[in-house]
Amino acid sequence: MTDIDKQLHDALRNGQAKAEAGRIPDFDMVWVRAESEIVQRRRRIRAVGGIAAAAALVAVIFTSQFRPTDQEWEFVDPDEFASSTSWVAPSDVLLPKHRFDIYGDIPVLIESTDEDRGTLL
Amino acid sequence: MRDSDVLDNNPHVSRSALEAMHGQVFGWALSRCDFEQTVAEDLVQQAYVELLTGRARFDGESSLKTFVFAVVQNLSRNRYRRMATRLRLLQKAGSEPGADVADMVELGEHDELWKAVQELPARQRDIIELVFCRDMTIQEASIVMGVTTGTGRVHYDRAKKTLKRRLAND
Repeated sequence: MTDIDKQLHDALRNGQAKAEAGRIPDFDMVWVRAESEIVQRRRRIRAVGGIAAAAALVAVIFTSQFRPTDQEWEFVDPDEFASSTSWVAPSDVLLPKHRFDIYGDIPVLIESTDEDRGTLL
Repeated sequence: MRDSDVLDNNPHVSRSALEAMHGQVFGWALSRCDFEQTVAEDLVQQAYVELLTGRARFDGESSLKTFVFAVVQNLSRNRYRRMATRLRLLQKAGSEPGADVADMVELGEHDELWKAVQELPARQRDIIELVFCRDMTIQEASIVMGVTTGTGRVHYDRAKKTLKRRLAND
């Protein structure tokens, strides 16, 4: 150990000892507090979990209460579908109504008149 | 190591081993928070919580002391990160800085050097404290500080040069 090392060692030990003198808390006390903090943390997690579960239950009950019960299911009528160029999506509470005309809405495909070995490109 | 002594979530850590190094760990925590007693107690308590819950899991890759010191170091860093905004606001408001650590202890034979150490940049001060006061090697101290051994050695050399100059001037 060099001279500077020894001086540093002595100075730091001395200063640290003074700074820490009489301040070190009892290990058992800190340990017990740490253990009780874990217990409290688990209780908090359980409480939050319980509240979340209760909120989810309330939400399920609420939505089931207000769900439309007189909903009439509609299906595609093949005859009606074949006799018309337009189609309306069956009513569904979750989907917005969508209406389109198969001639009006579908873009016109560009046809090529060039041919290669008898086949249109 | 008694079986009953081993932590459930940390099979390589025993309560008695932690008790044996409690004083050193607390001293390290004190110097992490400008020697504020309550903050240091809280840091040590949090470190024990991390060990008890297994969130800080010791696998025997370093010494237990190095590991626990690193846990305290990380917790104090997290704490300072959380406080950073608040501290900046306080500084803007022109509040008085905290008491000088060197002023908190009674003056004595080596106090000029002790004061010089406290005035070093944080990493230089840390490595000097870990090596000279906590009996760690530069490698162990570097692990605690979360830097490579090479970086730790650079901080150590710079700190010693500064302190040497300070001693020569005195």
